[in-house]
Amino acid sequence: MANKAILFDATKCTACRGCQVACKSWNEREAVKTTCQGTIENPPDLSPQTWIKMEFREVGNNGDLRWLFTRRACMHCTDAACVKVCPTGALFYHSLGFVSYDRGKCSGCGYCSQFCPFNVPRLNTNRVTGKGLMDKCTACTTSGLDRIDNVDNVGNELTPACVKTCPTGALTYGNRDELITTGSAKVQQLIVQGRKKAYLYGENEAGGTHVLYVLDDSPSVYGIVENPKVPVAATAWENIVKPAGYAIAGLAALGLLMNVMVARINLRRKEKKEKGGK
Amino acid sequence: MQDVERYSKRARAQHWLIVLCSLLLAITGLFLFVSWFGPAASGGASRIVHRVAAVGFVAVPVIYMILNPKSSLEWIKEAFTWGKADLGWLKAAPTYYFGFDIIPMPPQERSNSGQKMWMVVVITMGIVLVVSGGIMWFGKDLVPTGVFQWTVFTHGVAFVIAGAMFLVHIILGTIHPRFSEALRSIIGGKVSVHYAQSHHGKWYDRISSGKKE
Repeated sequence: MANKAILFDATKCTACRGCQVACKSWNEREAVKTTCQGTIENPPDLSPQTWIKMEFREVGNNGDLRWLFTRRACMHCTDAACVKVCPTGALFYHSLGFVSYDRGKCSGCGYCSQFCPFNVPRLNTNRVTGKGLMDKCTACTTSGLDRIDNVDNVGNELTPACVKTCPTGALTYGNRDELITTGSAKVQQLIVQGRKKAYLYGENEAGGTHVLYVLDDSPSVYGIVENPKVPVAATAWENIVKPAGYAIAGLAALGLLMNVMVARINLRRKEKKEKGGK
Repeated sequence: MQDVERYSKRARAQHWLIVLCSLLLAITGLFLFVSWFGPAASGGASRIVHRVAAVGFVAVPVIYMILNPKSSLEWIKEAFTWGKADLGWLKAAPTYYFGFDIIPMPPQERSNSGQKMWMVVVITMGIVLVVSGGIMWFGKDLVPTGVFQWTVFTHGVAFVIAGAMFLVHIILGTIHPRFSEALRSIIGGKVSVHYAQSHHGKWYDRISSGKKE
């Protein structure tokens, strides 16, 4: 199946937060207690109940104050650290390219939340028992609530809830390669208009993300990780410690059993000799 | 045949309780280590078993040390006391363990060099596993994610080291013909005089002459 993606054009976003609401209603997420922090930005953070939120940034630039809106949700990486470290296989790559998960398989270990370079997967973990289950944006591929693999009752292909509700066209859904073309063209246009640092984020980051951002400034201005990577500890763990562990255990067991066999034969032979000598 | 006591009742009880905790820890830990076992961890029940066993893994030796401070200290001291006899062991061991008697094995103390290696691994990796495990248990969201990531890594490395040495320990202790009385001694506490003399000559001379250290 074709690789799909969501394109977020930050220059079109008005931070209406319709996406936040649509996400909750489609994905059956509960409301979260809000805290007023002096802006209309809320809920306070991503959580198992909040899979997408708009972040507000006031960026001053020589008296030119800009109000920037950043979409905060799963980036659906091609090289996803969460999938790499998930011990139970709960997190997986959906055939459309998105990073989805099977909640029934989650053990609650929380490695995904600790290794994700975007700090996206969230759990409410009991500090004593460690119980908790991970939740995050699935790009509406959640089994049972799946939108994008389906068609609605009048025959339209469904798009992720956030995209469907977006009134300004800041969010679009489609084939990833086509969205890259669209996004690149928009970035070129922004550069021509004087936004020299305009950038299409996600084309190559983390192996290529399935959420692409059109930014009219550098990612750091928008509060986005500049160079997201699978943490070295995860790669070292999966690609070195695990295989080394199997090799060491296998060789040790094999060597020891061989050693025991040889020792048995030798000691029995010696015993016989001693008996014969007497 | 005459027997000599090698492990007190408490020492044996401690051993088997730690065995129980370690096996529970290793099995539930392997659920997260070996991808084929992954589904067994789903739901998180094995992670609770891991934590209960972890409490035992810490509590058992702590309680033992409180009850038997002297022998505990001696045991720790012994693990880290290395000398000439160990060099002799190292030279003789490769052939000795294959059942040859080409190079004479020098008389060993209460624990031979191989056993001391295991003791060192148990003490050091035990501490590393407890500390790293403690950070993963209580430190989530408190320590920086970078620290947490390397803690997970360290926990795994320590497990591989301890697990490999555990394989050596269990095979030598149960089915290796050189150590025919090892299993008996950790169950009943005693070994024959002959076994004590041939395997732990220095120790046997010390205890049979009635001398204190």
